[in-house]
Amino acid sequence: MTPAATPAVSLEELARWFEREHSLDAPWLAEMRRHALAHFRDVGFPTTRQEEWRWTNVAPIAHTRFQSASPADSVEPLRREIFHRMAPYAPRSLGGYEIVFINGVHAPELSTAPAPAIQITTLRNAMARHGEMVRAHLGREALWEQNGFAALNTAGFQDGAFIHVPDGVVVDKPIHLLFFTTAGRAGTPLLVQPRNLVLIGAGARLVLACVYAGQDAAAALTNPVLEMVLGEAAQVELVKLQRESDSAFHVAHEAVRLRAAANLLSLTLNLGGGLVRNNLSVRLDGPGAQATLNGLTLAAARRHVDNHTLLDHACANSTSHELYKYLLAGRAGGVFRGKILVRPGAQKTDARQTSKTILLSDEASMNSQPQLEIYADDVKCTHGSTTGPLDDEQIFYLRSRGIAAVQARTLLTYAFAGDVLQRVRYAPWRQYLEALVAGELNRLHIEKTST
Amino acid sequence: MNIVARCGAAPRTLNNKECLMSLLEIKNLRAAVGGREILKGINLTIGTGQVHAIMGPNGSGKSTLASVLAGRETYEVTGGRVLLNGKNLLELAPEERAGEGVFMAFQYPVEIPGVSTSYFLKTALNAIRKYHAQDELDAMDFLQRIKDKMKLLQMDQSFLNRSVNEGFSGGEKKRNEILQMALLEPRLAIMDETDSGLDIDALKIVADGVNALRGPERAILVVTHYQRLLNYIVPDFVHVLRDGKIIKSGDRNLALELEERGYSWLDGATAAA
Ligand SMILES: Nc1ncnc2c1ncn2[C@@H]1O[C@H](COP(=O)(O)OP(=O)(O)O)[C@@H](O)[C@H]1O
Ligand SMILES: [Mg+2]
Repeated sequence: MTPAATPAVSLEELARWFEREHSLDAPWLAEMRRHALAHFRDVGFPTTRQEEWRWTNVAPIAHTRFQSASPADSVEPLRREIFHRMAPYAPRSLGGYEIVFINGVHAPELSTAPAPAIQITTLRNAMARHGEMVRAHLGREALWEQNGFAALNTAGFQDGAFIHVPDGVVVDKPIHLLFFTTAGRAGTPLLVQPRNLVLIGAGARLVLACVYAGQDAAAALTNPVLEMVLGEAAQVELVKLQRESDSAFHVAHEAVRLRAAANLLSLTLNLGGGLVRNNLSVRLDGPGAQATLNGLTLAAARRHVDNHTLLDHACANSTSHELYKYLLAGRAGGVFRGKILVRPGAQKTDARQTSKTILLSDEASMNSQPQLEIYADDVKCTHGSTTGPLDDEQIFYLRSRGIAAVQARTLLTYAFAGDVLQRVRYAPWRQYLEALVAGELNRLHIEKTST
Repeated sequence: MNIVARCGAAPRTLNNKECLMSLLEIKNLRAAVGGREILKGINLTIGTGQVHAIMGPNGSGKSTLASVLAGRETYEVTGGRVLLNGKNLLELAPEERAGEGVFMAFQYPVEIPGVSTSYFLKTALNAIRKYHAQDELDAMDFLQRIKDKMKLLQMDQSFLNRSVNEGFSGGEKKRNEILQMALLEPRLAIMDETDSGLDIDALKIVADGVNALRGPERAILVVTHYQRLLNYIVPDFVHVLRDGKIIKSGDRNLALELEERGYSWLDGATAAA
C-alpha cells in the first residue's frame, strides 16, 4: 500500500479514493468493499427524518470535508510525538496487552509483544495469514447493508485489530486497543476508520478494552466497526472508553454474537467527543446466552451523545440486562434508544432495560425511548426510564450536615455514576474508571459553579 | 406577650438550671411557602442547657419552623430574625448553620442510594471539623468514634456499609438521625417528630441517645405532637404552636394537660395572644 497523499475532499469524493486505495485487497474483500461503497452512495448519510436518527443530526459530519487518514499522517517522528502526548490516556498501569493505532495506522513499535497462545494482531496481518478465518466473519456481524456509516467503514477501513482466543483459553491479562486521533498533517479533519474483529472460542475468557482518545480541536470523524463472536460458554468483559476531543465526531458500530451460554458484560463509557453515536447490537443466539450492557455518559458544553442498543433475542432462554445512565450539564444532549427484539420462538426470554438521566442544567436535554418488539408469548420484558435534576431533598440533607453545596452535588452525581462503575467486574479496570470518573465529575461541577 | 421561656423571665426555675446565656433567639419570625404565610410571628428564646418542646396539631407549622432554622430553601422568610449565639442565622447557608452547630433530625429522612453511610458520616464530620479549622479525622479515628456512638444507639455496624437510609425501616431511619446527632455534637439539636413510627423500645433507645447528649453547652428543641416522647426526654419548657404562632408556653405539665384535654381548650388562648 502506498501512502498516497489525499486531498481534502468530501466523503463522496473520498469514496472514489477508497476504490483506488484498496486495489490490492483480496478479491473477496474488494468485492465487499465495492458493494459497501455502492450502498453508501445509495443511502448516503442518515437524516433526522429516519426514525433511527430522529434525535441525532449528522449534518455537521456530512458537511465536513474530511481527509482519509493515511500512513503519512502517522509517520515518525510525528507518531511517537503523538503517542507521548496521548500517553496519559493509555491505561498503562493496568498492564494489558496493548495494540496502538495512531490516526488509524498500527504502531507496532508502541504496541506490546504478542501474547502466547492467542493471536493479537492487525486485521491486515490476519488477512495475509488467516485469510479464511477473517473472510468467514468479516462483515457478517455488523449489518452494514442497513447503515451508511457501517457501509462507509466497510468500503474504506484502513486497519484494526484481529483477536483470536482459541477454545478454552483464559487470557491472563486484559487486551487494550488504543486508538489515538489527532489532526492530519495539514490540520485538516481526518476520517479514521478502524475495523476490529474478535473471535472468542468456546469456554474462553477475555477482558477487552477499546480506548478512543484525541486531543486536538480538529473535527476528526472516527467511524469504527467492531465485530465479535463468543463461542459456547465464552465470557467476555468489554469496556469501551470514549475520550475524544470536544470537536470530534464518533460514530461506532459494535456487533456481538453470543452462542449458547456465552456471557457478555459490557460498559460503554462516554467522557469525550462532540457528536457521538454508539450502535451496540448483541445477538443472543443460543440458550443460556446472557448479555449485560451498561452505559455511562458524562457530557457538558454542547456535546451530544447518542447510545442505540439492540438486544436481539434469537432463541429461547436468553437473558439481557441493560442499565444506561447519563449526567448532562451545560447544553449537552443525550439520547438513549434501547431496542429489545424477541424473535418468534425465543420463549423464556428475560430482558430488563433501565435508563436514568440527571440533568445538571436547565439547558441540557435528554431523549430516551425504549422499543420493544416481541414475537413470543412466554417472556419477561421490562423497561423504565427517568430523567430529572438532582434531588433537592438529598442536597439539603447533605448540606444540613455541613457538606458544602458543590461537594453535595459532586457526591450525589458520583453516587449516580458509581452505581454503573461498580458493575465492572475486572477490578483493576473498575478502580481505574472510578478514579477517572471522579476527576471528570469534579471538573464538571467546578466548571458549572464558575459559570 | 406570649414568651414565658425567655431567659430570666421564666415563671419559675426548672431543674435548678440557670440560664447563663441565650443560645437561640427567634424574634417575630415569619415564613411563607408559595406565597402562603405559614409562620406568623414566632418568638422563642432558648438558653444553653435547656430542652424545649414544641407541640401542636398537624399542619400548625412545626416542621416549617424546624426547616427554616435548618435553612431549607423552599421556605421564604418574610420577616423577623433568628440569632444563634448572637449570629444572624438567616443569612447563613445550611452547611454554615451546621458548622455553627445547628442540627435537625428530619421527620422524613431521605434515602441516598449509592452513598454509603460511613462515607456520608465521615464527610459530614470532617466538613464540620474543617469549619472549625480542625484537622480531618483519618479512617481509623473516625471508625473508633462512630463505633462508640453506634453502641449507644444499639445499631449494628453493618449499617455503615449500607447506602444512607436506603431500605431502612422507619425506626432505623430515626436512629440514624440520632446517630448523626451524636457524632456531630451540635449546639442546637432540633428533633422533628423523631418519635413518630417508633415502638416503645426504639423510643427508649432514641431517648437515651438524646439524653446522653444533654449538657450545659447544648440545647435541644423537641418537636412532637404526642406527649409520649416527653416522658423520656423531659423538657424544661413546652410551647404550643397553632396556626403559625406560639399560643401558650409552660413547663412539662402543659404537655400532660394537652395529652388529657387535646388542643381545643386553647382556642381562647389564641385570642389572648
Ligand atoms: N413545601 C410546602 N409546600 C406547600 N405547603 C407547605 C409546604 N410545607 C408545609 N406546607 C403547609 O404548611 C402548613 C404547615 O406544615 P408543617 O410545618 O409541615 O406542619 P406540622 O409539622 O406542624 O404538621 C401545612 O398547611 C402544610 O400543608
Ligand atoms: Mg411536621
